Order: sequence, then C-alpha cells, then structure tokens
Amino acid sequence: MSITAPARPAARRQAFTPAAPLREPYRPWKGWEKISFRIAFVFFIVMSLPNTAQWYAEVARFNWFRLNYRDLYDVARFDSGIPVSRNFLGSPLIGYATWLWTLVIAAVAGLAWTAVVKLRHTERSEYNLLYYWLRVIVRYRAGIGIIGFGFTKLFPVQMPYPSLGVLDTNFGDMTAQKVFWLSVGIVPWYQVFAGVVECSAGAFLFFRRTTTLGAIMLMGALGDIVYVNLAYDGGVHVYASYFVLLAAFLLVKDVPILYRLLIGEKTAAPLDVYPVLHAAWQRYGRWLLKGAALFLFIVVLFWLQYVNFRYDPYKQPAVAGVHALRGRYIVSEFRVNNQPVPYNPLDTVRWQDATFESWSSLTFAVNRPLPLELGNGGGAPQRDIERNFEISGVAGGRRAFHYFADTVDHVLYLENKYLAPVPGERGRRGGKHKDNPEKPHNSWISATAWTHIGNEVDHIDPLAASARREKEYAEAPKVEKRDRMILHYETSDGSHIVLRGIDERKDSLYIVLDRNPIPYALSESSLQAGKY
Amino acid sequence: MKSILFRFLLLYFALQVIPLDIHYYADVFSLPGSHLGYRGLFVLAHYTPRFFGSTPSFADWLVVAALALIGSFVWQRRQPQPDWDRWRYWVTAIVRYRLAIGLLAYGFIKLYPLQAPFPSLSNLNTPYGDFTRWKLFGMSLGIVPSYESFLGGVEIVAALLLLYRKTASIGALVIVFFTGNVFMSNLAYEGGEYVYSAYLVSLALFVLSYDAYRLFSLLVLRQPTAPNTWRLALSRPYLRWGAKAAVILVFVILYGVSAQRGYRHDPYQVPGGKGIVTGFYNVSLFRIGRDTLPYSAMDSIRWTNVVFERWPTISIAANRAAHIDASNTEAITAVSNLDKTYESQGTNGRSYYDYSFDTASHVLRLTNKDPRLGYDTLTLRYDRPDSTRIVLSGLSPSHDSLYVVLDRVDKKYLLEEAAHSGRNNHQLKL
Repeated sequence: MSITAPARPAARRQAFTPAAPLREPYRPWKGWEKISFRIAFVFFIVMSLPNTAQWYAEVARFNWFRLNYRDLYDVARFDSGIPVSRNFLGSPLIGYATWLWTLVIAAVAGLAWTAVVKLRHTERSEYNLLYYWLRVIVRYRAGIGIIGFGFTKLFPVQMPYPSLGVLDTNFGDMTAQKVFWLSVGIVPWYQVFAGVVECSAGAFLFFRRTTTLGAIMLMGALGDIVYVNLAYDGGVHVYASYFVLLAAFLLVKDVPILYRLLIGEKTAAPLDVYPVLHAAWQRYGRWLLKGAALFLFIVVLFWLQYVNFRYDPYKQPAVAGVHALRGRYIVSEFRVNNQPVPYNPLDTVRWQDATFESWSSLTFAVNRPLPLELGNGGGAPQRDIERNFEISGVAGGRRAFHYFADTVDHVLYLENKYLAPVPGERGRRGGKHKDNPEKPHNSWISATAWTHIGNEVDHIDPLAASARREKEYAEAPKVEKRDRMILHYETSDGSHIVLRGIDERKDSLYIVLDRNPIPYALSESSLQAGKY
Repeated sequence: MKSILFRFLLLYFALQVIPLDIHYYADVFSLPGSHLGYRGLFVLAHYTPRFFGSTPSFADWLVVAALALIGSFVWQRRQPQPDWDRWRYWVTAIVRYRLAIGLLAYGFIKLYPLQAPFPSLSNLNTPYGDFTRWKLFGMSLGIVPSYESFLGGVEIVAALLLLYRKTASIGALVIVFFTGNVFMSNLAYEGGEYVYSAYLVSLALFVLSYDAYRLFSLLVLRQPTAPNTWRLALSRPYLRWGAKAAVILVFVILYGVSAQRGYRHDPYQVPGGKGIVTGFYNVSLFRIGRDTLPYSAMDSIRWTNVVFERWPTISIAANRAAHIDASNTEAITAVSNLDKTYESQGTNGRSYYDYSFDTASHVLRLTNKDPRLGYDTLTLRYDRPDSTRIVLSGLSPSHDSLYVVLDRVDKKYLLEEAAHSGRNNHQLKL
C-alpha cells in the first residue's frame, strides 16, 4: 500500500477549477493537530466498537439462515465507550458519563502515544492516511447504526398506530414519551419519510463523495431527535447524540474549506488522501467488505424489515384476534356474581368501556388506580403477551389482557399484559406462584382447549418465522404470575357480544358489550402494519 | 432558450415575493389598531400572491409562472443582453429578505411558545381518538414548550444567516431541511399551511441555487472550487446597512419584544380572563324536564362530565360526537375569547362554551364556540353549596328545565405525574 495524491477528475468546469494546485496536500501537521488526532483516534475507535461481550456472543449465536430483523438490528445497535462508572465526578450527566470517561482514557492514551513517538524519535509529520482509515470506520459505524434505526421507520413499525384502547384513553393520561411516539404513529407515511431520510443519510456515508451530504443529513435529523428525547423524556438522547457526535466528526474535515469558500470567498480545495490498494487481495478485499456491508444492511435488512412490517410488527402482537369480536364497545350490562352493577363513572369494579384489538388483546377501563407500565413498549419480545406498547405509558385505568382463543368452543383464555417488576431485580419481571410452584403455567387451559387453540408461535405467516421467535417461545418462563380470566363469548356479527366467565378473583362475570357507533375524529392511514 | 429560462426564474421568484397583490393590502389595512404588535406583523410577514380566494393554493403558483413566462419574452425583446449577475444578485437579495421575514414571523411565535400552547384541561380530558391529526400535532408540541422554543430558535438563526450574503446559503440549507420537514408534516397531519411552507421551501431552494454548484463541486465532486466573485457596488453603501437594520429592528426587535409580551399577557390561541372555578367535574345528577337521567354509557342527552378552564370556557362531554371545527391554519388575528378557538378545534370529544358570569346574580351566560352551530346561547344559574360542588339550573336549549349537579374530581394526569421519569430509566429500548 502506498500513498498518492487524490486522483482528481479532469476539470469539467474550467471556471471553477484553477490551474495550479491550491494547497500542498502534504504539509506537515502542527503539533496540536497531531496530539488531537491521536486522542481522537483512540476515542473514535473505542466509540465505534461494541463495549459488551454479550454483543459478540449474540452475533456468534445467530442462525444466519433464519434471521429475524431484530438480529441485524441488534448487530447495528450497540452501546460503546468505556463505562468506567455510571457517574463522572459524582453525576451521571444525564447518561453522558461514559463519553467523558472514554475521552479521559483516550486523552491519556493519546498523550502516551505522543510521548512514545517523541522519545523514540519516530514521530510522523502527518497522519493523513490514518485519518482516512479512522473516517472509514466512523462512516461505517454511523451508516450501519442509522440504517438499523431508519428501516424501522421506512417500514413504519417503530411508532405503531394507536390501538383502539389507546384511542379511547384521554390525552392527559399518557406520558409525554407516549404522546410523542403516538404523534408519529398516527401518520405512517410521515414515518416512512423520516425513514427515507435516515436510511439515505446512512447509505450516503458508505461512499466517500457523498459522506459530507450524509453527515449533514445525519446531524440535522439526529440533532432534532436528541432534543425530542430530552423534551419528551424519550430516554434515548444519548444514543441519538452518538450519531450527532459521529456526524460532527465526519464534518470537521470540511468545515474549514466550506468556511473558506463561502465566508472567506476564497478558492477552496478539499484535502483528500486516499490509500492506493496495489495487491489484488486488497482490492478484492475492499469490495468484498463493502459489498457485504451493503448487501447485509441494505438488501437483507430491507427484506427482513419488510417481513416484520407485513406480518410481525415488533411492537404489536403478531397473532390476529378473533375477527367477529374486533371493535370499540360500550359496556351495556355488567354483573358480578349475578349482581348487576349499573353504569357509574365512579364505580371501581365495573368496566367503563372495552375494546377488542385487531390482534389478540382485550382492553377495558376501570375507575381505580393501577400499577403502570412506564417503559416505552420497545425491545424485541417475540411473545405477544410481552409486547406491551398498548399499555406502556398509558394510564386512565386501562387494562389490557392477552388472550388465547378457543374458536371451537368460543372461549377466551386471558392473561394480564401488565407484569409487576420483581423488587430488587432490575429488569426482571413476574414471580413464581408461591403456593404452587410446580404447577405448570399452561395447566389452566384444558388439553382439549389447547388442541383448539394450537401453538401461538406458528400463528403468523411462515415467511415471518425465525430462529429467534422459536427460541423465545420455547424458552418462555414456565411460571408467571399474571392475572387470568376465562370468558366464554357469544356474538353473531360483533355488534352485540355477551361474555360469561370468571375473572382473576374467581368472581363470575356476565358482561354485555355493544359496539360504540361514534366515529373517531382521527382519520385512519392507508398504510397499516401487520396482517390481522 | 437558456436565456429565457433564466429570465423566467428571476421573474417568477420576483413576482412570488414582491407584494403586488391587493388582497394582501386589504388584509393588512383591515387589521384593527389593537394588532400593531406581533399579530399585525405576522400578517404583514405572511405574503403570498393569491388569485383565487383567501387561502393560497398551488394554482396561484401557476398563474405566477404564466405571468413570468410572458414577462420573460417581453424582457428578452426589450433587453437582449442584461447584466445577469446584477439581476441575479438583486432577485436573490429580495428573496433572501422575504424568506428571512417569513421565518422570523414563525420563529418568534415558537420561541415564545404561542403557536402550540399547552393543551387545555378539556383537551387533557378528551380521548386520543377524538382529535384530528392536526390537533394532535399541535398538542404534542404544546406539551414540550422547551422543544417548541428550540424549533423557533432554529428558524430565527437561519433567518439571521439569510440576511447576510456570505451566510445565506447555509441559512437556506437549514431551511430546506427544516421547512421541508414542516411541509411534510403539513401533508401528513392534514395541516393547512402546506402551500405556504412549500412556498418558503421554494424560496430557500432559489437562494441556495446561488451557491449550489459551488457546494456540489467542493463537497461532492471534491474539486478545487472558486468562490463567488461578483459583488454589488452600491453608490450609497448605507442602503445595505439600512435595509438590514430595518428588518432587524422591525422583525427581530419589535416583533420579538411584542411576541414575548404577547406570550406573557395575550397569547393568541388562549382566551383571556379568569373563569369562576378551574377543574374537572363529574355530573352526579342530571335532571331535564321532570326526568332525572341516571348514569348511562349510551344516553346521548345526559352530560357525563364538565371541565371549567382557568379562563372563561367550559366544555361538556356527553355520549355523542360533537361537531368538528376543522380549522387548520394560524388564526392569529382572533381578538375575542369567542374567536380564540384553538381549544375547541379539531376535536369531536366535547362541546365548548365561552361564558360570562355575574357573581352577584349567580348567572352564567354560555355561548357555543362552534361558529357553525350559530353561537347558541344558554343562560344558567349557578350555586356553589360547597367548595367542590356546583349546581347549575335553568332552561335547556329545548326549553326544558335543566338541573345539573357537578362534583369536583381530583384528577391526576400521568402527563404531569410522570414528567422526567424517562431520563433516569436506563433500560429503554427502541
């Protein structure tokens, strides 16, 4: 490998191309430039690599022939930096502490590097070529990362369209984070547009000549997302800022020449030093790596994300709900243990209203305080019962139950989607049945009913089947403490439904639902995720 | 041919920005004297040529294009060899100023979050599905005033960059992305300013075209690139500074101060004055004529709850869809509380009434805020037996006697309760 001056195409527009070279490409770097470069080199290399062993282990474990979109998404989405401590000088700095720790370590390493080359008298006059390679790494890291994000918008699944239960919840009964997510969710076509911007910014970063354009787009789009996350408590401001940081680094090179051209009104020329790859393996290797990145993160991910959008939108349960039941209902009659409970907005037992979603969820509102799910409904749970976007950040007494439907005997086996976090165990949810730990979790449904219900894992389109989905279903916790109801349903066309059965307290219920004829003011979109 | 295209573009953009349309002067001169502040300046800054009615449409652009096309042939006859650089400079300069003024007008009403106020108590107590997209867009921005200010700040900074020739392209680039996004939002959320935002984007693209090839050559082709060398030699250099100073004085300082004062004392979307009480009230008893209607999930006559805003508005929920006021443009000139309809726009969840009250005779005079319902009025007597109860009595619109008991519900809103919990949650995933 050797260095050569940038190959410039013959001047196409004479007016803009002066005859003589404008700046000497190989001017030696100044001392401070070299020291900052060494620090930046260490810093951005560390920031471009995953910082957990778990990431590498997971990538090694994938079944590359039966991929789920989330596999590639997880390859693209990782945390980086050196997390010495969650705090920097006693404060988490709203999540940026790791960055500062990484910078401190990079500074130490950069200064040590400087000392070593000075002592050994091996200091170079410039780092143009190494700078090129550093930019390659940052470009690919940023490009792949943003494409992973962008595709979930290009095929609009990151912000789902609000479910009926959410549409029936008051605006004030949602977290700010929820309000923002929904505000994008109601306009899937706009989400597609945002996805196009993010994906094209990422794709531009894969090519030298479009890098600056890509970096400008990335900086603009993600700068806005940082502010959105801070304002709405979205919680991913640090990861969004990460792309702003990488984009800013990629722009540093062009800011002086841009300034020189526009503000200084002087002729400006980019200083681009590209390596010349002589050996065949170097040339083919470059194309192989570049081709692999493009193929994997543009072609394959496009397909996987399409399949996800079409059959298995990752924040919505994937399995279709019972067709006849779907809709928005008024609770016209409600009896508990054969005692009628008349409608009263202040009653704490009676259901106020109910919805059957397109997927396997029943929601209803009750007028009593409930523990809330305050996450953002994200992550990548494969099991429908764990996909909780429809309850996350939503209050107003609304409860959502996942159901297994026995459509032969017309029985719904319902389980509460809300699962209380286990105290003291971050992130772990659900507990064991203290009274009956050995009772397997599915024995509440009879064997006959199970044969009618079938296996939920297979209830989506075969195109959307993946190793990840099967593994998660197979490894589902055997014992989970969830509220359960068993309700028999009767309806002809869904305009009038009678539910009979028992609730989580073993009280018997008799409920009559009538379809609510009042239309929503919100208009539906022509673009809908999932196949229900 | 190239010469015609060039003339056409220059004339087209000149005609788009130079205020020749009489509708505009009619609008400006019909403003009441009370609108000398930011509201009047906003109208002043909102020029587009309109040939078909009061709302701008893309058809107007076609007319402008036709005029420009005719003009460019006439021009070619009269002046076969114009000084292109000079013409281009002047048209670009006028477009830059026009664009900057338009952006400042929107920038300051976001910097001081007037454009999207925090949702009213009634709006907080309306189901999500009972709003239109445009209303949800406004409310979603309204809950984060700091973000709204940030967006306004971006518009203002870009506008200031446009006032200087050397930074104009950077400002225009920012605006292509920023207002381009506003345009897409208008399309997606069924907003009413999509023509105007597209107009601003087209102006920004024109300004950007001045340096576009240079930027492309330097940043994409990666070639040595020569700068703009043409400079305007003004015989009276103070003209240049005078123009900048005038824009800054009127549309930054005067407008900014006025918008800030408006935000404090007279936000244009929010009614002024104080109501009798503030809160969410359950309708415990509802008697009409001789019938006491029990709670019902179906009955469309009985009220289900009533909200009293901080200002004199009440809203009533019942099991029926209210009429939707689908306004989706800036109604910055509304003066009376009755005309300040942001709270009641874009929703079918509740019925909104402006009211006046007399504390001596305990009378409420309600006026329906929906103009299409003919401003129905309703006069009721109110009594407050204790601090949490209000009793309303009088005649219903159908002249039946009406007797309603309202009890205050101490409602908590997750929107407010959960504020700032997300930042401390390190487990969020997308």
